[in-house]
Amino acid sequence: MENATPQSTSTPVLFETSPGKILPADIGHQPLVLLELIQRLKVRDVMTRDVVCLERYIPLWEAQRLMKEKHISGIPVVEDGRLYGLISKDDIILAIEGGYIAQPCGHYMTTKLVVLEDDMPLSFAIQYFDRFHFGRFPVLNRERALVGIICQRDINRALLAELSEEFNRMEKSSARTMQQELDTSTYMLRDFPVAKYDFENVGKAANAIQAAMIERKFPTKIVRRVGVAAFELEINLCVHSIGGVLSWQINNGRSEIVATDKGPGIEDVAWACKYGTSTANEWIRSLGFGAGLGLVNVKRVSDEFEITSAVGVGTTVRSVVHIGTPPESQGT
Amino acid sequence: MNVQKAISVLDAELIVSGDGFLKDVKHVMVSDLMSDVLLVDEDDMLLLTSLASDQVLRTAQIVGAVAVIIVNGKSLPSSMKKVALDLGMTLAVSKHSKYNACIAIHHCMPQ
Repeated sequence: MENATPQSTSTPVLFETSPGKILPADIGHQPLVLLELIQRLKVRDVMTRDVVCLERYIPLWEAQRLMKEKHISGIPVVEDGRLYGLISKDDIILAIEGGYIAQPCGHYMTTKLVVLEDDMPLSFAIQYFDRFHFGRFPVLNRERALVGIICQRDINRALLAELSEEFNRMEKSSARTMQQELDTSTYMLRDFPVAKYDFENVGKAANAIQAAMIERKFPTKIVRRVGVAAFELEINLCVHSIGGVLSWQINNGRSEIVATDKGPGIEDVAWACKYGTSTANEWIRSLGFGAGLGLVNVKRVSDEFEITSAVGVGTTVRSVVHIGTPPESQGT
Repeated sequence: MNVQKAISVLDAELIVSGDGFLKDVKHVMVSDLMSDVLLVDEDDMLLLTSLASDQVLRTAQIVGAVAVIIVNGKSLPSSMKKVALDLGMTLAVSKHSKYNACIAIHHCMPQ
């Protein structure tokens, strides 16, 4: 505060409200969300409205008592809603040292005040605290009446509350966007060629599919079901067909695997789908497969299962698992 | 019992420590038939098998097994270690027979 000098003021003091720069230099490096916030919020949104005031004839010791009682460090001096000055803790200390604590506030108040207007952006207030190093600023309305007071604690509290709400909004918006993407768009589609009797590479497609799902944090049980369906169908293409393609896509909360080959085709599809039936030879069995459980297992892990086949044309098997959405994308 | 303990109990040689070395074992599957293994729907499973092939590891990965221990002291195909490394699958080889391995593991599992 400016140095307090004894004076008697009958007219309101002149107020400095020059706007200056909108933002201090160090605020310019803050995140955009914060910059937007301190521009959007007005001083009136942040200030304390219930202001403890004094009139000019009140003795300084009463100001001291109020500061102690209300835990405040400055009290505006007003009459008829008009701001005339401000008594700060420094003024009280000087009054005690000078032995004039019983004198009226109006004689020793600080009158060279810097004030803010209530419709200024909060960035002005931050800039003023940075520039003037005062503990508080009185706030006036357009009619020059005192309507509030603002200190740095008010700003911190308001920014924390607003930022918390802003982050909540951002999280919900982000979750909604991801949910919409998962619900409405194909976000993964891959084809894996599978060659006949290629035991060196068979299983790689299923492992890749599982890895992609694990990366997206789908539940273990879901990952396992999709993986089993993919692996069994991949083995079938390798063992029973002349080669084909394993296609996998995630769309609308569904994992769809389609195994397509160009032959030789299955003569009796119903028989092939029975437990324990297989045309696999001993060599295939020696590799740990061909027990006649493949299609049964695919059916077991699938929410939707479909097989079509024609001898000399080929076989298509479709397995759908309802996978929902990964936990990380679920809305709050 | 965790995988490390199982490997110790079976006097197995650790080939790849992988991601499961310190994980707990809650279920044990013993089979040479991968079709059977693919029917299992259990978490934290240890697979004991005397079949030594890349597809054993891929199958174990598919069902979410924590480790594979090859029994009967089978020699591994040269590609198997690389596949285990690629998949992060814990792999060990034990000289115990499948039968003795089952008994040893059974004694270590909580009753």
